[in-house]
Amino acid sequence: MTAKRLRVIALLAISMVFLLAWAFPIIWSVLNSLKTDSDVLAYPPKLVFAPTWEAYRDVLFGSGSILPNLLSSVIISVGTTIVTMLMAVPAAYALARLRFRGKKFAGFYVLATQMLPPVGIIIPYFLVLRNIGWIDTYQGIILIYLSFSLPFAIWLLVSYFEDIPFEMEEAAYLDGASRLKTLWRIIIPQVRGGIAVTVVFVFLNAWNEFLFAVVLSGNTVRPVTVAMFNFVSVEQTLWAKLAAVSVLAMLPVVVLGVVAQKHIVKGLTVGAVKGGGRR
Amino acid sequence: MSGQGQVSFRNIVKMHGEFAALKGVNFDIKPGEFFALLGPSGSGKSTTLRILAGLDAPTAGRVLIDDKDVTSTDARDRDIAMVFQSYALYPHMTVAENIAFPLEMAKLPKSEIAPAVKDAARKVKIDHLLDRKPGQLSGGQQQRCALARAIVRKARLFLLDEPLSNLDAKLRLETRAELKKLQRSLGVTAVYVTHDQEEAMTLADRMAVFMSGEIQQVGTPAEVFARPNSIDIAGFIGNPPMNLVPARYADGDVIIAGHRLKTTITTAGERDVVVGLRPGALRMSEGGLGARVDLIEDLGDTAVLDLDCAGTMIRMRVADGNIPGEGDTISITARPQDVHLFDPATRMRL
Repeated sequence: MTAKRLRVIALLAISMVFLLAWAFPIIWSVLNSLKTDSDVLAYPPKLVFAPTWEAYRDVLFGSGSILPNLLSSVIISVGTTIVTMLMAVPAAYALARLRFRGKKFAGFYVLATQMLPPVGIIIPYFLVLRNIGWIDTYQGIILIYLSFSLPFAIWLLVSYFEDIPFEMEEAAYLDGASRLKTLWRIIIPQVRGGIAVTVVFVFLNAWNEFLFAVVLSGNTVRPVTVAMFNFVSVEQTLWAKLAAVSVLAMLPVVVLGVVAQKHIVKGLTVGAVKGGGRR
Repeated sequence: MSGQGQVSFRNIVKMHGEFAALKGVNFDIKPGEFFALLGPSGSGKSTTLRILAGLDAPTAGRVLIDDKDVTSTDARDRDIAMVFQSYALYPHMTVAENIAFPLEMAKLPKSEIAPAVKDAARKVKIDHLLDRKPGQLSGGQQQRCALARAIVRKARLFLLDEPLSNLDAKLRLETRAELKKLQRSLGVTAVYVTHDQEEAMTLADRMAVFMSGEIQQVGTPAEVFARPNSIDIAGFIGNPPMNLVPARYADGDVIIAGHRLKTTITTAGERDVVVGLRPGALRMSEGGLGARVDLIEDLGDTAVLDLDCAGTMIRMRVADGNIPGEGDTISITARPQDVHLFDPATRMRL
């Protein structure tokens, strides 16, 4: 065997180890979600078992259905994403392009908000929301999510905007386009990839968020990450149902990843092609 | 929409902090003229073009287009088309969409846009590439696409910022000739920025030569070549540029390495001068300035000789068939009208 082949095999082996480490919890969840409660607790773990949809049926259509919670998560995540993007795109453009007083400070402030530990601000957030009566409301949770998704999105988008040469915009002005038209017709189509990447990250962060949700939500607004804990109680943990909810909660994320993949890859490779008008 | 395309700059000053990029620039461009802004990098020619386009605002002074003060008019309201050095094509649009963009912004009906786009593309010979994206074009084709986008609107002013500098040498020569023909056939005023004196010489009807934020000379290429206003211009124009030799002026003659050359100036008295001698204006002749041939650069039809005249380096251009050998000693001279004199202190022409 040649040294080159050995190296390939070694690399493959290492990748497999990493892959397994990443995939194991997911595989474990999927398997458990298809077991009965007794199969889940069987020792040694059963690799061969009769799969059942019982857990899914229960969590979706049983007495403790998580469908309203999935809906809550969708409303919170989509709402957060839309509001974030509506504000982050113009803000990132401004930070990347315009010259204004306090720009440096604004740029730093955006990043500085990312440095605070979330636990440190959760109590002030709670107090603010309680005082304005927004605990357990969609607008309350979305507002709080905005406070960290917005800086993150702006910071991510700025680099995409900065990649677009000034001359491109100047050409558009001379062609008779206003600043807004230029942003809409010339700039945004070119940062599509960056916007797709940002949308995915913002959505995922909101979808997966637990810490703030558990403190600031209640019985009306209860995202799926919080609702999952219905299946964990002092007496017992309903492992199969918990696993089924986890898998259900993962699905939109996977779908989003697959759909956005094309854009994400495109966003990464734009500019790699020689010329293309952007040297 | 299309006007005449007459341009005037009145005392334009541009400061970047403490640094004066333009120190009071004045010039006039006539309608239909091909006007070059020539100068080394950092001399202010691109700044001038950007101020004319409305992309930068001058610190002081006024810009007039067709006798109207446009100093504070927005770029998009100036009716100016521009070709950028990087072409600045919109990468997400096809060639046709790129060319159509200015017309769309002018809110022309679709029925008029399509034929106008075809027509502009045909003029620059890219009408077979209309469905491509800029990324699928060669450098030359991208350049043509940028040209088409600029001419489609029939703007009154056509600005070009070093449009040929990204092309290879052969394509550059071809495009240069086509550009000139295109401008003539459109009859539009063109303002062309370049650091390449050959481009300016061949393309321009008139040119302004920039040196460190000032215009040192405005004139036809022939005028600037024949009578450069300053040492800096003399050393910049021509290939190879003018020989500039410190010498002594005495009663109508200049003395270089002990040899006297007649000039057209007749003032009595003595002073230090800088003598300018074009390499092509030097002649071999008996009884002239003695010079040793150090190096011969043979260019085929002509050759450039590096001459050592008692320690002073002088370059001379000679025709083929008239080339001495390396190491030979020759004798050179120049006609009085070919001897340019400059003041070493002010660096201006005497």
